Amino acid sequence: MKRFKSVASAAVIAASVALPGQAVKAADVSFMSFSYAEEAAKPSVDALLKGFEAQTKLTVEPLGYAWGDMQKNIFLRARSKTLPSVAQLSERWLPSFANVAGLVDLNEVYGKDKLAAMFAPDALAMGQVGSKQLALPLISGSIGLIANKAVLEKAGVSKTPTTVEEFRGALVAVRDKVPNSVPYTMATKNNGSILLDFMIWTWTFGGEIIDEQGKVKIGSTDAGKQALGFMVGLMKDRLAAPEIDRPDARRLVAQGASAFFFDAPQARTHLRSFSGQGPAFDANVLPLATPIAIAGREPASIQWGHLLVQFSSTGKANADAPASQFITYLTSDEAQSKFPLEQSALPVTKSARADPKVAGDAFLTAWAKAAGNPGRNEVGIWPNAAELTQIIGEEVQGALLGQKSIDDSIQSMQKRLETSMANVSKQN
Amino acid sequence: MAGCPWGQPAAIHTPLFARDDPMTLAAEISSASEATQVSPHAVRGGLMAGQRRIGLLLLLPAAVAFGGIILYPFLQALALSLFEYTLETPAPRFDGLGNFAKIAATPDVWQAFLTTAIYVFFTTTGTLILGLAWALILNQPFRGRGLLRSLSLLPWVLPSTVSAFIWGWIFNSRYGVLNAFLLEIGFIAMPQAWLSTSAGAMVAVIITKIWLSIPLFMAFFLAGLQNLDREQVDAARVDGANNWAILRDHVLPHLRPVLIVVVVLGVIGNLQQFDTIYALTGGGPVRATAVLSVEVYRRAFEQWDVGLASAIGVLWVATLLPPAFLYLRMLVKGA
Repeated sequence: MKRFKSVASAAVIAASVALPGQAVKAADVSFMSFSYAEEAAKPSVDALLKGFEAQTKLTVEPLGYAWGDMQKNIFLRARSKTLPSVAQLSERWLPSFANVAGLVDLNEVYGKDKLAAMFAPDALAMGQVGSKQLALPLISGSIGLIANKAVLEKAGVSKTPTTVEEFRGALVAVRDKVPNSVPYTMATKNNGSILLDFMIWTWTFGGEIIDEQGKVKIGSTDAGKQALGFMVGLMKDRLAAPEIDRPDARRLVAQGASAFFFDAPQARTHLRSFSGQGPAFDANVLPLATPIAIAGREPASIQWGHLLVQFSSTGKANADAPASQFITYLTSDEAQSKFPLEQSALPVTKSARADPKVAGDAFLTAWAKAAGNPGRNEVGIWPNAAELTQIIGEEVQGALLGQKSIDDSIQSMQKRLETSMANVSKQN
Repeated sequence: MAGCPWGQPAAIHTPLFARDDPMTLAAEISSASEATQVSPHAVRGGLMAGQRRIGLLLLLPAAVAFGGIILYPFLQALALSLFEYTLETPAPRFDGLGNFAKIAATPDVWQAFLTTAIYVFFTTTGTLILGLAWALILNQPFRGRGLLRSLSLLPWVLPSTVSAFIWGWIFNSRYGVLNAFLLEIGFIAMPQAWLSTSAGAMVAVIITKIWLSIPLFMAFFLAGLQNLDREQVDAARVDGANNWAILRDHVLPHLRPVLIVVVVLGVIGNLQQFDTIYALTGGGPVRATAVLSVEVYRRAFEQWDVGLASAIGVLWVATLLPPAFLYLRMLVKGA
């Protein structure tokens, strides 16, 4: 009896600790977000969640995962049937997730015409796979060239480079006049980042990696070899360095140890944070048009954005569902007039883009001028994008690190990409 | 009952079927059955059977955990290796030996086997030599030996990913300690990107794993050295044996059983290694340090091909079986 009393008392204490006052209630919406896991963006996401909760009286459970872990966690949650109600994706991931069970076609939720009337066409297109609208944009922009104005001034570079030759000249000046610097923090470590730099330089030299029909083109002209040769040359002349990924580039540029790198406009927010100077650092952040190698050609940049996808057990939802209401809020004028600007990115709706605050943001205006006509990521649109990215990353890295000749890398890339594309059909 | 010291009923020895009357027979059986209930605490099937049942009961929680956490996922992975299961296939599709055929035609996977072999050989050998050397040093009597023994366990105590980041910082091309030191002494003229060459990255992951494993190997050897016959060593010294002769003819033969266990455990552990390699190099540059564990991870979580990853995993397990078998055999023999 004494033992029973002890056990009963322990159980009562445990229950009172576990359930203070009332049973824990599950949130109405679960939101998986990589921005929520980023120090610089978390306060803005928190503000969004509070705004939604105040407006609708619905609750949101934020699930923060690092950008690099998002795909893996969505994949694992899909397998264990524990997908969140709403998830944030990078635009290039969408084709890979197009077949995940439970992904809602948002045309059926909101109506195709209504979405077309509300969103900017370039932003809305990022969420389309075939005839379906599998995602809605949250923020948009492009991957373009960014320069550190203070470093250029230190190197005596007064004219911003517009051609590849001028760009190289500026890099040499930085190398020679700014000690311990990496003039151009070209991505050389992570396959996903290497792909973007390589794609931009391939376009710059007039080539393409895979065409609209899925035919691998990288080895069919000299453009791929010229692009890779240009990148290898930068490495050999110490104008770029090994072991650099996008986060390294942001830190080096923010610390005045690099002059150029490719990134999304959101980089401004990271640079503010990493420099320790906040908005005061904005004066050094200079969006530039990618230098051209062929006269008259449009400077290269890549379409970029963050998307929102909705999951439900049946793959269907109505506009009144809590998750649908959450997406409606995130794409409303109230949210779009703040969040994208705080992330140094463009809003996605027509009305928000017309907001004077957007036009009044000098950085975004300069960005739109420099990289306002981006091309679609020609690797990210394929369902086997992950494998394609790995192949390109490995072959480019092999050449950059001197393990392979440029010719061998391009030939091997062509062959491996063809094998990967052999049984793949384009989804959008 | 009288005259039976163990309380065995006398009736049980009565020839029951010798009687003709069935009613009497039933009564006899009933009577005999009641008579066997000698004690309310008697164990069915005897004392040994009772102990076996308790043993099985005690084993049950561990068996349930093993079944749920290890056996079931393993069997599932074994089954998935026969299926095509990617992100594009909502449900697994039976593909027979298709994944294994794909592996046979993929040089990258065979390269991963070779990379694994190189990694396991050098990490095991390096740890063996350095762990033994360190144990021999710490077996000598000197002031502060206890403190040094305790400090030697530090790499083993640190989480392996923390160790990987420490070594990543040491080898970093821009702000690494190694480059700073070598530049300072004038050994190199400019910073070297150690982790960006195939050989440099492999050496880095091997050094990191050796550093992590030395304490464990050292502890094994140190324990073995405690039983070494000092008089025998002293006698050998009197006979003129030098250090090398004592190590070769006395210490190593004495440590032979420990050596075998340590080598087998080392091989198994190094075959399974993932975290330090992934944290330090991610399997790169290109594929220079992509051992089997990294290859499985890449296929499953970067290319979303669970079927192929499972098939590679099955082959990976096959490489683990010989050393595991050796180890288990030694355990059983030892027992």
